[in-house]
Amino acid sequence: MMGEADREVMLELKNVSLDFRSGKGTFDHGVHHVLNDVSFKLYENETLGIIGRNGVGKTTSLRIMADILAPTNGEVITRKGATASLLTLGLGFRPDLNGRDNAMLSAVLQGSSESEAIGFLEEIKDFSDLGDSFEEPVKTYSSGMKARLGFTTALMTHVDILLIDEVLSVGDAQFKAKAEQAMKERICGEQSVVFVSHSDAQVKSLCDRVIWLDKGSIAAEGAPETVIAQYRESIRVQNQANKKRRLAASSSPEV
Amino acid sequence: MLLKADASKFKLGFLWWILEPLMWVGVFYVVFNLILDSRRGGDFLVFLTCGKFAFIWFSKTVIQASNSIVASQGLVGKINMPKSIWPMSAIQESLYRQSTVYLLLFVILAFFGNYPSLTWLWLAPVWLVMYLMIVAAGLAGSFLVCLLRDFQKFIVLGMTFLLFTSGVFWDVRDLGSEEKTQLLLSVNPLAFMLDAHRQILMHDTAPAAGHLLMIGLGASVLIGLMLYLMRRYNHFLALKVIT
Repeated sequence: MMGEADREVMLELKNVSLDFRSGKGTFDHGVHHVLNDVSFKLYENETLGIIGRNGVGKTTSLRIMADILAPTNGEVITRKGATASLLTLGLGFRPDLNGRDNAMLSAVLQGSSESEAIGFLEEIKDFSDLGDSFEEPVKTYSSGMKARLGFTTALMTHVDILLIDEVLSVGDAQFKAKAEQAMKERICGEQSVVFVSHSDAQVKSLCDRVIWLDKGSIAAEGAPETVIAQYRESIRVQNQANKKRRLAASSSPEV
Repeated sequence: MLLKADASKFKLGFLWWILEPLMWVGVFYVVFNLILDSRRGGDFLVFLTCGKFAFIWFSKTVIQASNSIVASQGLVGKINMPKSIWPMSAIQESLYRQSTVYLLLFVILAFFGNYPSLTWLWLAPVWLVMYLMIVAAGLAGSFLVCLLRDFQKFIVLGMTFLLFTSGVFWDVRDLGSEEKTQLLLSVNPLAFMLDAHRQILMHDTAPAAGHLLMIGLGASVLIGLMLYLMRRYNHFLALKVIT
């Protein structure tokens, strides 16, 4: 394996924290601390996985990397000229327009020029298996069909740093296999990727390195197998503790 | 493409663009001419149409632009774009729509015997200033609504207030005292703009050029300021919209 020191850093988060205020509370009441002093680096051509429970700041850290949000404290350093973009399903879907117009809209929003986007359209139609539905308004689509269209359109983006948030769980079994294959081809190529997922198998097969976020901080970082094992272990321990507490609570009145 | 989406939502599609302002004029005509019996026939209809068509351009667009960033919450959380794109796209969209409305206005004017003259060329600067006012108000509105959603209520209320104070269904020049008229025209730029429409289209008179220029300059300054603020607080606005 290459030493980390001689690889080029694509993106670095330095002591990043993010707070926001919600509700009517003043002072520290109603202030959410989403990320707390998080630092990590993303190297060139690397696929970095981020795992953790719901609400620990995974999506928020992706948004900070994509420059949608600015950290309250700390800094984000991107390699000069590198573009980072969040790969998400259904970017800017307009339910009243048909699949073709929506695919066009998404492609343009993700930075393709209009003529490039027109070039993609047939490809998108083929890959998504939508057939004649491609010309129907998106509001008539089932959720699986919407997800297919979204995934296929998103796949056409070309950026230096690809930020992926939970997208591989789309469509039926057949399309899922196809999507995973396409994703793998994309990730294994010359591409730096940050990948957020709840699927252990996907993280193990796609990622070179994994970060486990817990309560807004990094709990562990390292090889996928090790970190995932630690993460699962912590969930098991927590579940056991909860069970014990429940048991204690239900038996206490009799004591 | 957004226009296409807008039109395909309803059965009558594109027709709604001109039906809606027409129906507004119809409502005002029934209330003020038939029920309150305040004016004389065709002339009042033209008077109403000029005022209302211009007013509805301002009010509908500003309300739509104000809500536009918050309404595309999903998109704001997925992609980093200058926040002024959303209100601007709402404003552009309504500009296309308004052009058909003005065409209809010309038809109505011709029907009641008001034919184009050279004075009508004044419409070009009047429209430009109208547009600048809409952009300024739309950007400011969308910025405020991002900071605090409660502003949505104020803006809608503000539009009703403007509807009553800008002389849509009464004539600013009919207030009885010249002082009052001048005061209103100088305090409320929208009242001046509606009056300018009528002066040109009904009375073949050029509007006060200096006043028009001042309004245009004021709006341009506000636009510059809002664009600066929106760029400066780009990330902060995104956070406000998402959370």
